[in-house]
Amino acid sequence: MSGRLAVELAGLRLKNPLLAASGTFGYGVEYERLMDLSTLGGIVSKGLYLEPRDGCDVPRIVETPSGLLNAIGLQGVGVRAYVRDVLPRLERHDTAVVVNVCGDTVEEYAEVTRILEDAPRVDAIEINISCPNVKKGGMAFGGDPKMTHEVVAAVRRVTRRPVVPKLSPNVADIALFARVCEEAGASAVSCVNTLLGMVVDVEQRRPRLAFGTGGLSGPAIRPIAVRMAWQAARAVSVPVIGIGGIMCAEDALEFLIVGCRAVQVGTANFVDPGVYERINAGLLSYLDRHGLAGIGDVVGTLAYPGETK
Amino acid sequence: MPANLDAPLVAREALPGPYALLTFAHAAVAREARAGQFVMIKAHTAPEPFLRRPFSIMAVDPGRGTFTLFLKGVGPGSRALIDMRVGETAGCLGPLGKPFEAPPPGAEALLVAGGYGVAPFYMFGEELRAQRRPFHLFYGGRTAPDLPLEEILIEGGYPLALSTDDGSRGTPGRVTVPLEAYLGAEGRQAVLYACGPDAMLHAVARVAQARGLAAQVSLDPWMGCGVGTCLGCVVKIQRPSDARPKWRPACTEGPVFDARDVVWS
Repeated sequence: MSGRLAVELAGLRLKNPLLAASGTFGYGVEYERLMDLSTLGGIVSKGLYLEPRDGCDVPRIVETPSGLLNAIGLQGVGVRAYVRDVLPRLERHDTAVVVNVCGDTVEEYAEVTRILEDAPRVDAIEINISCPNVKKGGMAFGGDPKMTHEVVAAVRRVTRRPVVPKLSPNVADIALFARVCEEAGASAVSCVNTLLGMVVDVEQRRPRLAFGTGGLSGPAIRPIAVRMAWQAARAVSVPVIGIGGIMCAEDALEFLIVGCRAVQVGTANFVDPGVYERINAGLLSYLDRHGLAGIGDVVGTLAYPGETK
Repeated sequence: MPANLDAPLVAREALPGPYALLTFAHAAVAREARAGQFVMIKAHTAPEPFLRRPFSIMAVDPGRGTFTLFLKGVGPGSRALIDMRVGETAGCLGPLGKPFEAPPPGAEALLVAGGYGVAPFYMFGEELRAQRRPFHLFYGGRTAPDLPLEEILIEGGYPLALSTDDGSRGTPGRVTVPLEAYLGAEGRQAVLYACGPDAMLHAVARVAQARGLAAQVSLDPWMGCGVGTCLGCVVKIQRPSDARPKWRPACTEGPVFDARDVVWS
């Protein structure tokens, strides 16, 4: 992979700007037989709590036009099993490892982060304050500026690693939340998690998902996500990682152009695990076509109507 | 190892009604797949629906590097595949999942298919024949047109018992009627294998339980990724070693499960 795609992000050097988004790539090791994990800039783990979690009842997923509505409910192995069983297997892969940290309480977020602090191989902490499919924590924290500040500050206090809160799009003013995170010590922000949605079975007259509502992802949400990433990038000086329906190089470029330093690819993993190689190739060919030296030259180059750059 | 490839359609055979046989070139599936395994596949010609779909592999031809799917055009995903023309490609990841396991020596394999759930049993029959294991295929549908593989199975010399709910072909009634008749009152040494609608799988599991026979059922929940990461296709399973039921992904821990471990809803 050419160094032209390398990006610097909150002290991390990623070989390319593509990270696998939390919840769409398992713990990473599930894909090691299917693809070369070193084609990724980084892997963001599925959300981890202190203890294993069962997740939601079924059905958990329903397809929508150009999208996927899910309520998985953060089923997972818990942070200790992750440190013991998963992290050693990631040693042999040349890619950044970002761990997505969850909690029912502020203390739990801090405790999960503390356990990871002693583990090698972790490059950064992503804070999940935006999952719409849990009763406590998640979006309940990410929808309240005061709680957002409290969680981010608590995690910041217990780790030396970069701290990256993942913002919820289910708020009126994403710029406000980005600023709150920056003030609380965030090294970067991920923008955005899924949009709260619902699909109704009209014959049964009940939601199709057992949980009721769910989180919408995929190309269906991309224009909203691009707008929010743009607003966040204008509001803060820390890097923004764009997320939302990226399927190809052009989609990734939209986020980079509006000011994101890197992007996460999520639901596209389900449709085609080969998506990373395609996007990287597309980014390189874009750089060639536009006579640009590196991918950093694209970041924040949006010519917005009525504004001078 | 499963491989993610652009698989060209190399042959297409329309069957009566909404059914078709589609043969794709895919070296890894052709070489490695076993009966009961599946592919995640989506026609490149149709951007929607968005996700790939899981389909059981019906047959493989390792020499030619191809595999065949038996499809019923029921929704936009399967119809987009059926509408493909030879030479067009589909994104295809496979082979995936756990296959059927052959019965122990001395036991007969009884394959119980409901509707298009017959697909993996074509391949399983070939495997069993190669291992010189006795088997019998019970193929049931709602009506005679719901048994489109009848001719192919007869030509292939499959020991076959047909049934239809409306009695228009074979034994009248559910597929468990000829199955129970075959099992008879005697304690026959057999392992049951089932693929089809959930209610049918459950019925076969009850037949097995009542007679103290082992059964393997192929579950078919909605799937997102096919590789165990989205956790959308989980099913409730309680193995003897589990203190309580657990949500397990059907894509990686199944789709074939021991019927005794399935917590039926």
